[in-house]
Amino acid sequence: MRWGLRFRLLLAFVSVTLLAVAVTAWSSARSASAALVEATERQLTGVVAERIGAVAPQLSYPPDQESLDRLRSAVGPETVVTYGQLSSVGGDRTGLVTGALRDAVRTRGRLVAQRIVAAGRPWLLVGTPVVVTAPDGGRSPSGIEVYSVFPLAEVERQVDGLGRVAVGTAAPAVPLAVLLAVLAANSVLRPVRRLRDTARRLAAGDLDARSTPRGADELTELTVTLNRMAGSLQASMEELRRMQADARRFTADVSHELRTPLSTLTAVVEVLASAADGMAPDARESAELAITEVHRLVRLVEDLMEVSRFDAGTARPRVEEVDVADAVRECLRARGWSDRVELVAAQGVRVPVDRRRLDVVVANLVGNALRHGAPPVRVTVSAAARQVRVEVTDGGPGLPDAVLPHVFDRFYKHDAARTRTPGSGLGLAIARENARLHGGDITAANAAGGGARFTLRLPRDPEDG
Amino acid sequence: MRRICCAVLMFLLAGCGVRPSGVHERGEAPTGVAPAVTLYFVDAQNRLAAQSRRTGRLGTIAEALSLLLEGPGGRDGLSTRIPPGQPTRVVVDTRPGLIVLRVPLAAYEVAPLGVDQIVCTALGVWIQSGGAPDARVRVSFTLPTPESDAWRTCPVLP
Repeated sequence: MRWGLRFRLLLAFVSVTLLAVAVTAWSSARSASAALVEATERQLTGVVAERIGAVAPQLSYPPDQESLDRLRSAVGPETVVTYGQLSSVGGDRTGLVTGALRDAVRTRGRLVAQRIVAAGRPWLLVGTPVVVTAPDGGRSPSGIEVYSVFPLAEVERQVDGLGRVAVGTAAPAVPLAVLLAVLAANSVLRPVRRLRDTARRLAAGDLDARSTPRGADELTELTVTLNRMAGSLQASMEELRRMQADARRFTADVSHELRTPLSTLTAVVEVLASAADGMAPDARESAELAITEVHRLVRLVEDLMEVSRFDAGTARPRVEEVDVADAVRECLRARGWSDRVELVAAQGVRVPVDRRRLDVVVANLVGNALRHGAPPVRVTVSAAARQVRVEVTDGGPGLPDAVLPHVFDRFYKHDAARTRTPGSGLGLAIARENARLHGGDITAANAAGGGARFTLRLPRDPEDG
Repeated sequence: MRRICCAVLMFLLAGCGVRPSGVHERGEAPTGVAPAVTLYFVDAQNRLAAQSRRTGRLGTIAEALSLLLEGPGGRDGLSTRIPPGQPTRVVVDTRPGLIVLRVPLAAYEVAPLGVDQIVCTALGVWIQSGGAPDARVRVSFTLPTPESDAWRTCPVLP
């Protein structure tokens, strides 16, 4: 990215310089060459007029062949002189004289010139009539016409030389432009790099990161804006955290406040339960319903308090070396599930965990499988080099795809029928928090056979995470 | 980008060198040919009169003045105010805007009309060979007077 910006700046600088150099070289070479061509042409036409003027008074008029030859040799090597039917031709380039030039000589009665390119080389054609001037200044055509051809190859060489010199003198500007471009790129990229570092720190979660604005350019404005953004982000995050903390404290407070009346209610319900046998059938049904709901309420409040402890970060595992297979077996036996659950356990797998929390997790997963799935419910304990896996599978229809991402959400119930189940709706959430407390995790998936599969992973060495 | 640079460079290179042009004028046509030379003599009414001497070419100012000094040859009823029988060799020195003539005559020998003859003949040849019509003539005599060195013009030529 940094190279890209630098490269682009460099390219832009060099392109602009090259273009400027080229245009400067071109225009200076062009004007110089135009001046050179003009001067050469002026000089050659002047020479022609001067030579004719010098020799003309000595020529017999009307001219004979000898006079024409004399005039021709005086003007130059590549020359044609004509007078009516007479003509004197010198050199082998006079065929280059164009019809346009002859027409102009005849119609304009003045000295004319034309540049042409023939056989890849430039030539100057000069044509003129020779006029007779009366002593009073009146001019009349004499009938003598002179055409002369001059090579311009030497001029062209000089013009090309001018172009080369122009390019040569302008070329040193290019390395200078590169140097300037590098300096400019650095001066732009240094603040950009500082901004990038700040943004990177912000992205990594360091909301205190700021960049010191220097100077007064657009990058400084950007720095100020970034700082302001970081500031408002930090403020929002703090507000959010405060609100979250408030909500958690509220949950904890509510749960705590509910505990005292609930224990009273539990005691009352115990009394009610012992007296239920002597009641009328409909009254007894109501009493049993009340007892069930009170027990559910007690569990809900207990789960809420557990969740609050996780949220507040006050949950502390009491870690001890536990044989996972034994713990699972004890859990099933204590709940009377031993004959309904098939246990496949590797013996002697010892992991440092909180025995109570492991019991809560396994009981929750197996309880869910028994309640919502279908037999056979199977618990598999297996050990790998770095972790222990406890898989709970059932033979039911499995979890719908829409439900899978949400099974660990608090109070998530995908089925209205589940509202009457004894679960609090926090079981899987608490189970996962417990697993994470040990540096492990729980994942939910569907087994190949169709049943739901919950996998608890616990690290054998908690320091590994 | 590279392609544009190349195109520009090609165009620039093509713009150099000598390019062909159309036919354009480069000044007056040269002159100087003439079938005869014009000498100035004096007619019966004491006026300057041109005599065309068919020499077949214009020749130089010195040649024309030599012919002038030799006299009208008794033709056309013309006479000269320059004493005959003198050497006819005239030295001509042209400078920008000025023709200096060194004649083998003393100032007292030549009448004003004779000086005009010399001046007009020289100027006529000068103009016919392409010289500027506003040139002046100084006649340098062997024995000059203060007035004889003036810059003169021909009264009958523009």
